[in-house]
Amino acid sequence: MKGIMKLLYCAALGAGLAGCAGTTDTAAPATGAEEKPAVSSSQAAHYAALMAKPAPAPEGGVTASRVSGTAPMLDPFAKEWEQVKPVTVTMTPQVVATPTNPKPAIGDLSVRTLHNGQSLGVLIEWKDATRNDRLVPDRFGDQVAVEIPIAYRSDTPPNPMMGAPGEPVNIIQWRAAFQADLDRKREITIRDNYPNASNDLYPDQFLKAQDVRSYTGAAGVDNPVAKHRDSPVLDQVAEGFGSLTTKPHQEADGRGVWKDGKWRVVITTPMSAAGANAPRLNPGENTVVSFAVWDGSAQEVGARKAWSDWVPLKLAK
Amino acid sequence: MPKVYNWQIGREMEYLYADARPKKQFAMVMDTNKCIACQTCTVACKTTWTSGRGQEYMFWNNVETKPYGFYPLGWDVKVLDKLGVQPIDGAIYKGKTIFEAAPEGERVLGYLPDDLDYAHPNLSEDDSVGSMTQGAFMQMPHMQWMHYLPRICNHCTYPACVGACPRQSAYKRPEDGIVLIDQMRCRGYRECVRGCPYKKPFFNSITRVSEKCIGCYPAVEDGRQTQCTVTCIGKIRLQGFITTPQQAREDNPLDYIIHVAKIARPLYPQLGLEPNVYYIPPIHVPPAYLKQLFGADVEAAVNGYRKAMDDKKLLGALLLFGATSDITHHFKVTDRFAIAYNEKGDELVRVPFKEPIYLRPAFDEAYQTVRSNIT
Repeated sequence: MKGIMKLLYCAALGAGLAGCAGTTDTAAPATGAEEKPAVSSSQAAHYAALMAKPAPAPEGGVTASRVSGTAPMLDPFAKEWEQVKPVTVTMTPQVVATPTNPKPAIGDLSVRTLHNGQSLGVLIEWKDATRNDRLVPDRFGDQVAVEIPIAYRSDTPPNPMMGAPGEPVNIIQWRAAFQADLDRKREITIRDNYPNASNDLYPDQFLKAQDVRSYTGAAGVDNPVAKHRDSPVLDQVAEGFGSLTTKPHQEADGRGVWKDGKWRVVITTPMSAAGANAPRLNPGENTVVSFAVWDGSAQEVGARKAWSDWVPLKLAK
Repeated sequence: MPKVYNWQIGREMEYLYADARPKKQFAMVMDTNKCIACQTCTVACKTTWTSGRGQEYMFWNNVETKPYGFYPLGWDVKVLDKLGVQPIDGAIYKGKTIFEAAPEGERVLGYLPDDLDYAHPNLSEDDSVGSMTQGAFMQMPHMQWMHYLPRICNHCTYPACVGACPRQSAYKRPEDGIVLIDQMRCRGYRECVRGCPYKKPFFNSITRVSEKCIGCYPAVEDGRQTQCTVTCIGKIRLQGFITTPQQAREDNPLDYIIHVAKIARPLYPQLGLEPNVYYIPPIHVPPAYLKQLFGADVEAAVNGYRKAMDDKKLLGALLLFGATSDITHHFKVTDRFAIAYNEKGDELVRVPFKEPIYLRPAFDEAYQTVRSNIT
């Protein structure tokens, strides 16, 4: 890493992370079990985010009108959405943390919001010529994420780039691959990825459940990205780069449909969910939201993404 | 980027994290001259660890025929091509490592293999570098050559998978240096698959996270060698622990082979990961190719191996390959035996330098029959 990249990277991650000169605690991670974020100074992170010059948020932000009923919360084509004027959110290349994505495939998102007093719904649309929901070694999936501060203060919003220590954010990520699993209504098998594949026998077909664990990898330890889900979204919390953690209780939901070269995805979250890591969204109040998007066909994944600055969000009374 | 010392390239180099060598370092020595590519190690590993869903084409251990065999396809030539021609002569490597050659905005220099690159794990098996002309006859050195290269994860001192992971899901255990991917924390970004030049982390398309060779850590924690080592019918492997050259212990068979006799070399040391699987190079392969594979000192290693008969201690260490399923921490050579000891100092096995020969009469009086085998 060199030059401006290093400056940005180190500023973003503070003095406690690898790659930054003058650090005291840069030993290789001793254990992966810890969920502690590898970041330190939130000021530095904020500075780096400013240096990264995100594209300006749409003027006036987005407003979530109040509707009755739950229809639009899980149906991206519900008629209520037609009443909302879409707002264009310009995306910014992620060039602060390595690996970077200097030329993201998706330039902007079209965003609408609604709430019904119980749930906030965010409808996101973007042009994508290919539907990528088959994950094999060289194929990545389309994804989109909504970020909401856990505790919003208008004078000091958290770092829009995944928060910072002490400034947690709620990140709700929809994944096309999860959507495909749900639309299929069963767990994925090798034939979904490779239609002509054959395999004689898997250990789980002849071993007792307690003996199968060592053959089941991430699914056997209930890794939330590995097991079959009842929702296409991951409800997560983050306090900076590398700290994204799936919440033990998944409360957000969503649904995405790819049609005519376009993804239309609704992500919905309870406005007052239980637990310390859920944002409180009260009708009549203001907060902010931001977005991230990945195009699987451009091998975008993880840090290789496009992100947006905070967009003001008004929740109608 | 922090500077770390990599003794295999004889200099400091840049790495993503500061130096933090483990208390013990998992290591293996493989004698390529004895490998017959029977794939018993591959099958042992497969049945032990990777027969689950999504692991159909995943081989944590594989044996490929060099120079034209690869798993995944072209893994090493692709990395070497990306790195470009580098000066590899001399004790100090003057070229760039994959960390130093990382493009702007990337953590390491790497590439993501195509899905189909994994589809032919035994491609080019037994292919030699050329065909024989009409009327050719056996000469030394051989006019055409190939050799087998058994491979597992190198459990590197400076792993590229650990350096490449943006969320610290890949880690190196401080107790034994084994490199693992946390199956709970990994999210399947495949930065490790992209970053590791040896291509030993794999993406599981059913669990959608990455997996890799775990150095049979449940066995190693219990003082036993890995499955690929204990099942090797050719007795080509010895697994144990290695120290740095400065701390080399002559009574550790791995230290003796690698640091004292210096007959085993790491694979592609110029990439800068300080891999901990060591190879006794195939002695009939042209030195130019061996140099690319095993670094500048490879000819000395070949010569040392040729003269192994003159070094009784080395011969003793080599006798311990495949002699016990336990990990040898110390060894001793007596007049007649090479004796292996575990960490506590208990004797594991004694291997005679010369197998006793028993001669039996050609005619068996008891059964009134002629013996066809009298030794």
